[in-house]
Amino acid sequence: MKVELRNVSKKYETVEALRGVSLACEGGTVTALLGRSGCGKTTLLNLAGAMDVPDSGEVLIDGESTASLTEMQLTVLRRKRIGFVFQFFQLLPTLTVLENVELPLLLAGGRGTEGRARERLAWVGLDEKARAMPHQLSGGQMQRVAIARALVHAPDLVIADEPTGNLDTASGERIMELLADSARKFGAAVLIATHSAEAAAVADVRVRMRDGRIEAVDPS
Amino acid sequence: MNGKLLSSFILRPLRADPARTALTALAVALGVGVVVAIDLAGAAAAGSFQSSLETLLGRTDFEITANGGVNEVWIGRLAALDRNARYAPFIESRIVIDGVGTVALYGVDLFAQEKVSFQGPAAPSDPDHAAVVSSALAARVGLAEGSRIAAFQVAAVVPAKDVEFLLLDIAAAQKALGTYGRLDRIDVTLSPGENAEHVEREMRALLPPSYTIAKSGTRGEETRKMLRAFRWNLRVLSFISLVVGAFLIYNTISVSVVRRRPEIGVLRALGAGRQLVLWLFLSEALMFGLVGSIAGLGLGRVLAEGVTGLIALSVNALYTSSRPAAIGLSWETAAMGLIAGTFVSLLSALAPAREAMRVEPVEAMGRGAHEHAARIRWRRDLAWGGVLAAAAVSCSFAGPVDGKPFFGYLAALLSIGAAAMCAPALVLAVTGLSRAAVRRCFGAEGMLASRSLAASLSRTSVVVGALATGIAMMASVGIMVGSFRETVLVWLDSQLRADLYIRPLGRSGAGQFPPLAPALPGLVAEVNGVEAVDVFHGLEIRYRGERATLGAGETEIVRRFGRLRFLDGDRDAILRSLQGADRALVSEPFSNKHHVRVGDAITIPLGDREASFTVAGIYYEYSSERGFVILDRATLLKYLPDQPPTNLAVYLRPGADPATVSAAIQTRAADQMIAIARNASLRRDAVVIFDRTFAITYALEAVAILIAILGAANSLLALVLDRRRELGLLRFLGASPRQIMRMIVLEAGFLGVLANLLGAALGFALSFLLIYVVNKQSFGWTIQFHPPLGLLAAALTLVFCATVAAGVYPARAASRLRPIEAIREE
Repeated sequence: MKVELRNVSKKYETVEALRGVSLACEGGTVTALLGRSGCGKTTLLNLAGAMDVPDSGEVLIDGESTASLTEMQLTVLRRKRIGFVFQFFQLLPTLTVLENVELPLLLAGGRGTEGRARERLAWVGLDEKARAMPHQLSGGQMQRVAIARALVHAPDLVIADEPTGNLDTASGERIMELLADSARKFGAAVLIATHSAEAAAVADVRVRMRDGRIEAVDPS
Repeated sequence: MNGKLLSSFILRPLRADPARTALTALAVALGVGVVVAIDLAGAAAAGSFQSSLETLLGRTDFEITANGGVNEVWIGRLAALDRNARYAPFIESRIVIDGVGTVALYGVDLFAQEKVSFQGPAAPSDPDHAAVVSSALAARVGLAEGSRIAAFQVAAVVPAKDVEFLLLDIAAAQKALGTYGRLDRIDVTLSPGENAEHVEREMRALLPPSYTIAKSGTRGEETRKMLRAFRWNLRVLSFISLVVGAFLIYNTISVSVVRRRPEIGVLRALGAGRQLVLWLFLSEALMFGLVGSIAGLGLGRVLAEGVTGLIALSVNALYTSSRPAAIGLSWETAAMGLIAGTFVSLLSALAPAREAMRVEPVEAMGRGAHEHAARIRWRRDLAWGGVLAAAAVSCSFAGPVDGKPFFGYLAALLSIGAAAMCAPALVLAVTGLSRAAVRRCFGAEGMLASRSLAASLSRTSVVVGALATGIAMMASVGIMVGSFRETVLVWLDSQLRADLYIRPLGRSGAGQFPPLAPALPGLVAEVNGVEAVDVFHGLEIRYRGERATLGAGETEIVRRFGRLRFLDGDRDAILRSLQGADRALVSEPFSNKHHVRVGDAITIPLGDREASFTVAGIYYEYSSERGFVILDRATLLKYLPDQPPTNLAVYLRPGADPATVSAAIQTRAADQMIAIARNASLRRDAVVIFDRTFAITYALEAVAILIAILGAANSLLALVLDRRRELGLLRFLGASPRQIMRMIVLEAGFLGVLANLLGAALGFALSFLLIYVVNKQSFGWTIQFHPPLGLLAAALTLVFCATVAAGVYPARAASRLRPIEAIREE
């Protein structure tokens, strides 16, 4: 899968969140977006994840512009090809760990979903916590469950917004390794927003942003 | 309390959430509206017994009455007393006039009336044919002074816009009604300065002991007393809507507290005391209470217009003839509505407000912790539910207080409380047990909906409790009315065995027995095809200061043809024992009201005598709660020889055609205004009257259900607003707007199912209380338990569908949430 942003701009009321940004992410690579709060990282992730459309420019997923897709097509795209990881884990407190991981498959109307969910849980090392409730887990464990959930439907694109922002250093390192592994093992394009240079160390490409613009790309 | 704080902490969030604010205020308005409407309509129906005629005739001091009528010779004897008093004859009945219909007929000493002036060309030359008519009747029929109505010439039109009547001279009225020498009462008016006590004492010494001397107005007071239980029951029913509304206030304030726990924590950290926090949330409830109550007063005034007719119908069918008086919103009613609305609002907000008060500054946490506490509390709540249910059972065994089923209602209230306490356990049990099935049937949306309800346990329980109370009210009243209806149908079958029934033409209400011509039974008996005629005499009497009906019929005919059902004893033997003897049957309500049992002696003043009768049997009776005493006809005529017949029950020979016989009777009695009803049509009419009588209860149920559904919509909307982040997340995880909508509608469906389960169980419990405690103690009749299962199933389905429909708006709101914004709020 290839996600490409071409000269994309986005404005929220009076705030210009993105100003003519162009960027491409390939499958099997990890791209880290670095920058301070408010620099446009999350907006870029939302556009890349088909959660929003740009005011100008284009977001192309495998060559197709997200602006040309209907609401339902965008839903199906997210359901089948994109996985999300959030800073505050965003697990549903009413579901067990296993059910949280299963949820994207269930929303897609899948059958026999438990086996795949268990596989992913095992991959993040939490198969023994399948029946636990989210509040019984540590922060790092919760984020690993979130990663298992993001990968359960074998997405082509994984979007992670500050995935280590709410974790201690050791847990953060473990999460970044898992995200990097997901690119290598499953061939997904992984796009991570972070303001931690240490966390970004695992990335193949590091993109530094400032005031809605890309300041630098490493390696260029 | 700081006004600015109130404005920013309470008013601003209310303004920001107009739909929920309006729904909550509307629930209070509806609750108060119903209470006010029932109060106003009840007062209008109960307060209309002083007719315009009485106003016209002026003040009187005493009324002399007697069971079976007052002999007019006593007027002359009273006048001979050395007292400055006027003794005026009075007759009250109804007649049917061709082309005009049924009209109230009054007979008075017309020419002694100072307030009716006869001047000009219409001044009557023949008092026997002179009539005074009310302006209402004159306007409807187009009468003026000098015009004719039936055999009378209009001598004057008197102002009375709200009631139609025809006023005749006493002799003319006696002639028209065939009641020569008899009066309904003598009105006594004392001259100024005359000693009322002395006059009363002298009259008492002169008149037969069976005559009653009562101060004027006693009749109205008696009627009001008679209606007290009826109005009380209606009033209690009307308060159910407010109880359902209370659940919603509780819910709204609870949501408010849950949502603002972090803010409360901050307030506390900044130095706000516990009392301030308590008062902030009580102020919110007070605002809902005041705004809702004020709107409810207006609503109640409007609703009263429609309700008065329904209540008057019940009053006429069950108690006494009345015309609804004008409806007026008095200060007392307005104050009652305002106080009830605000008090209920404050009371229902007390628990959540106290919870807010207990929030510690460091405890500014989200919903999770609160709901976790609710989950822990469910066992304690269930135990309390058991305690309340046990208390309800105990109360149901207690007797009435001052004739009112006070403990019956307390038991009902305790049952509602018990059900509400059991709601959390029910929610957890049902959502837990149905977990796998729900996921299989409804997929991810079903799973999420079911879990969300269990997760928001405190809120879900309140909505389920509110909805269940509304449903239970509907189910219990439905079961009670259905059982009553079935009981009445069975009773009608045993009571109405004749083929034809004859009565005077025109409308008549409870307590009214217009006479038939004495010659009519003989005429009817001669008609070809007639096997037997049961001649019935009905008259209103007073027994131990309360009104009742004395009836007399041919008990041998009833024994041969009828199927009268007795609570106990052999029917044939009881009826045989009545013939020609001073023995009586009493109806079940009479027996319960006056604590009369078989074998007891009852003394009834009849005419100039006090007659004593032994109770031979107690029979089932459902036509009136006033109570009946039934004698053999020969026995009645022994005491009241001139008592005219009021109804005839005609039994036909086998093979005789009722239509042919009816036509033959009409032909033979062509000069008499009679109505002949065939058995089937009489039964049909009885059922129609029954259904009309209970129409008001259905209307009250509908309002309670409506409020509960508003509550469901309100709660679902709150749930959606509280779960914006979660709903946004689901969109990130691939849920379509349609799936989000389906999830919320499914939640509404679950709420409906849970409420139906709890409501049906509570409804059955309440129906037992209504049938075996409240009705028995209020009205004295035994209702057999016959739940109308088909109707109940249909009603529960309807409520379920309405609950699901109530979820549509919140569901649409949820599906339109912008996921990025929802997630960003974190």
